[in-house]
Amino acid sequence: MSEIKLACIIDDDPIYLFAIKKMFKIINFSKEYIFYENGLEAINGLITIIEKGESLPDVILLDINMPIMDGWVFLEEYRATKIKNKIPIYITSSSVNNIDIERAKESDLVNGYINKPIKKNSLIKIKTLLNK
Amino acid sequence: MSSIEIEDKVFIKSIENSLTVGSWAFNIETNTLDWSLVTKKIHEVKSNFTPNVSEGFNFYKEGIHRERIISLFNKAITKGEKFDDDFIIITSKGNEKWVRSIGYPIFKNKVCVGVRGVFQDITEKTLITKEIAIKEKQFRSIFQNSVAGMAIIGLKGEWLKVNKGICDILGYTEKEFLELSYIDLTHPNDVTIGKKEISLMLSGRLSNFQIEKRYIHKNGTIINCLLSFTIVIDLNKKPLHFIANITNISKIKRGEEKIKNLLDITSKQNDRLLNFAHIVSHNLRSHGGNLEMLLQLKKEEYPELIKNEYFPLIETAVENLNKTIHNLNEVSIHNSVNKNDLKTLNLLLYAKNAIGNINALILANNAKIELSIDKNINVKGVPAYLDSILINFLTNAIKYKKPTVAPIILINAIQEKEFVIIEITDDGLGIDLEKFKHKLFGMYNVFHKHKQSRGLGLFITKNQIDALGGKIEVESKVNKGTTFKIYLKHE
Repeated sequence: MSEIKLACIIDDDPIYLFAIKKMFKIINFSKEYIFYENGLEAINGLITIIEKGESLPDVILLDINMPIMDGWVFLEEYRATKIKNKIPIYITSSSVNNIDIERAKESDLVNGYINKPIKKNSLIKIKTLLNK
Repeated sequence: MSSIEIEDKVFIKSIENSLTVGSWAFNIETNTLDWSLVTKKIHEVKSNFTPNVSEGFNFYKEGIHRERIISLFNKAITKGEKFDDDFIIITSKGNEKWVRSIGYPIFKNKVCVGVRGVFQDITEKTLITKEIAIKEKQFRSIFQNSVAGMAIIGLKGEWLKVNKGICDILGYTEKEFLELSYIDLTHPNDVTIGKKEISLMLSGRLSNFQIEKRYIHKNGTIINCLLSFTIVIDLNKKPLHFIANITNISKIKRGEEKIKNLLDITSKQNDRLLNFAHIVSHNLRSHGGNLEMLLQLKKEEYPELIKNEYFPLIETAVENLNKTIHNLNEVSIHNSVNKNDLKTLNLLLYAKNAIGNINALILANNAKIELSIDKNINVKGVPAYLDSILINFLTNAIKYKKPTVAPIILINAIQEKEFVIIEITDDGLGIDLEKFKHKLFGMYNVFHKHKQSRGLGLFITKNQIDALGGKIEVESKVNKGTTFKIYLKHE
């Protein structure tokens, strides 16, 4: 069973980030974490990682509604990068709008849609899925 | 009898036959009346019939016609005056005919010895003339009394004749009209309207056209009109004049404007509502979610907090807040459904599925559901909506059962022209429709005490049915039960 070494969280909500960090700690979700506040920061960060030849995250938790670059645009930009090994991406959003949920379902880049508020159990599930 | 006289008779006879003009002669001395063959034919008498004077008069229709011929005839004899007039006669067969009778007194040594005359059947011509006269009169009365504006307009655009209707619409008197030209009263931006059609009419390629056009009232206001323009031509197809028929549609136009404005406002409000829905769907949810998450974490990190009297209250408040947001969401996302998103759904299949979904509830309440839906009935819908509609009604039927009775619920469906009608009948508590009918499908309305009542089910269900283009009816009696009739389209 391989552990999650690096988890990437893209979200602009400080309260959410505070809470999820706590949860990560409780369930020991990953060894390390990177946090980006919006899509653009994340894309630039990932490109830098590739350029430096460092290891990419094992999982991305992506918010939809963010300033500067939202989750959907991030996915487009992500598709355009040179990242070959597909990183599992989970959308984490408080939107219950069917349009968002369908869109996530239809995207080949997205592994799942998790409705906020995120529960510890959802994180444990992701962890188990990724470890398989 | 001289030869000239014979030739005269032959000549007259040939004229008579070709023109259906008869002749007659009265001899004072012998007091005899002579009718030619054509004259007899007009009277519809046999050729050997020989009338006397009074018999001759009796063919004329009693009243003014007979009185007039007698008076003219007497004047011809006594005063030597000739006559020429139209009369109605009644033939021997009882037919009414219009005739022209002309009489010339004959003098011998300045003494009148007789009257000769011409007798012509003019029935057909007279009737046509009379018909034209009636039509003319009709047209004149329509023209004068019509509420619609009517005008006769010359080929150069001058007003030739106007009626009261058009004077009322445009505010000018008849006299003022005749001093103006058609273009003078036309809205400057509409001067070219109809020009093409008028030239087509003048060249004989168009007989009339209808068009919307603006005129200027004497007081300067714009009058929106519907104009019907017709050309009148003579027998040689030469244009004579135009007839314009003008209806004031300003009120209708203003109504259209109002509706358009209202639509604008409504669609703006709709946009705002969608915005609101989005705020609820996303922003409110994330704040509520954060609160919930923080509370949960804090509780795990500091278990002793639960003993604080504030904590459970805050927890309940947050829980309620999130429930309300959840409800609001359910309500706000039901906008109308795009026609292309509607699928053909088999009703029986969906009903069975709905029953399967609430199996636990059915068992717990010892409920019996009798399903009688033809397997060929399909409805147009969104799968999730149809699921939700059926489950909601079934759940309600069980939830609001009589406390001591195992509920029996009947589901059947009838296919009609436009709709499939799904009837769901229960033997439950029933609803006092007189009191609650107008509130039944409203939001947050609960009619029975039940721990799971949110007062949203029927509201959402009705919205879903509306969104599918259907409708809903309800019949209910307190302590007897309720029947919901759900109308859904099937094609």
